[in-house]
Amino acid sequence: MSMDSITIPASPRQEFAVGVVHCLPIVAGAVPFGFLLGSLAAKAGLSALDMGLMSALVFAGSSQFVAVELLDKGSAGLAVVGAILLVNLRHLLMGATLEPRFRGIPCARAGLALFFMTDEQWALALRRGPELTLAYWYGVAATLYLAWLSSTVAGTLAGALIADPTAWGLDFTFIAVFLCLLAGFWRGVGSLPPWLASAAAALAVHALSSGGTWHILAGALAGGSVAALQAKGQGRAQDA
Amino acid sequence: MLESLHLDWSVFAIVLGGALVTWMTRIGGPWLIARVRPGRAASAALEATPGAVLVALVAPAALSRPSDALAAAFVCLIARRVPMVVAVVAGVVAVVLLRRLL
Repeated sequence: MSMDSITIPASPRQEFAVGVVHCLPIVAGAVPFGFLLGSLAAKAGLSALDMGLMSALVFAGSSQFVAVELLDKGSAGLAVVGAILLVNLRHLLMGATLEPRFRGIPCARAGLALFFMTDEQWALALRRGPELTLAYWYGVAATLYLAWLSSTVAGTLAGALIADPTAWGLDFTFIAVFLCLLAGFWRGVGSLPPWLASAAAALAVHALSSGGTWHILAGALAGGSVAALQAKGQGRAQDA
Repeated sequence: MLESLHLDWSVFAIVLGGALVTWMTRIGGPWLIARVRPGRAASAALEATPGAVLVALVAPAALSRPSDALAAAFVCLIARRVPMVVAVVAGVVAVVLLRRLL
């Protein structure tokens, strides 16, 4: 028996700390974008308080970019809320995959924890697998929340466009993080057909729709459908 | 300083509406799936969803230009061999260099 197989359960404080550490590379990429969003909000006429409340209560980056853009254009309130809903619809699918982790947790506590479910939170939580604890969840959540709130407010206070995050390749941080997380889901060549279907659908919808996040829903549905067909094919092979 | 504390009530109403619908998308997934027990095909679909979502998230940006596609391929190659922080930093360095070259 190797030493590795003897695991001592970590204390909640340790779990929280691990969550904070795992979140740091994501924070490095998120802060410049928070700044950028804040400066765009200032341009759209939002005050630092407006922006702070939006980051604190909505706490969903891409939908906030869309909302600020629409506010800048003077869109109707209901249209802005509708756009936020559409951009965040992908959370339904993400949350569904986390359901086993939240089984047995009282509704109120789960409802509060799920308030913090961003793309990054979801991906890190899923990677943690069955060992996921609420302490780890909140380690990630608190770090991201504070970083997002402070960077968006600071960006609004600073006003003008600070810098273009793409100049330092910081926009690639998100891509790299998501690719690393994707590698964790590799289950052999069987993973390939759903992923290729998702990429094809996402690219097609992205090319047809200007902006928004419809391509994420399209990719999820295409990948899920191919996986369902694979499972049906396997079931038939076993029955024969 | 006072302007930064100004609250626009019409914006605040939008923020509250946006916050409510966003929270509902976050709690809705586990709530729905706990009530509709999925069969074998649906389970497989659900199991494939995280990977498919990640692919869909990165595909348009990763394939937007040759430099980014090459850097993305590089990250995929090293992702399972080195810690995540190393892979992310290496990927960002690679993309900055490749964007200058290509």
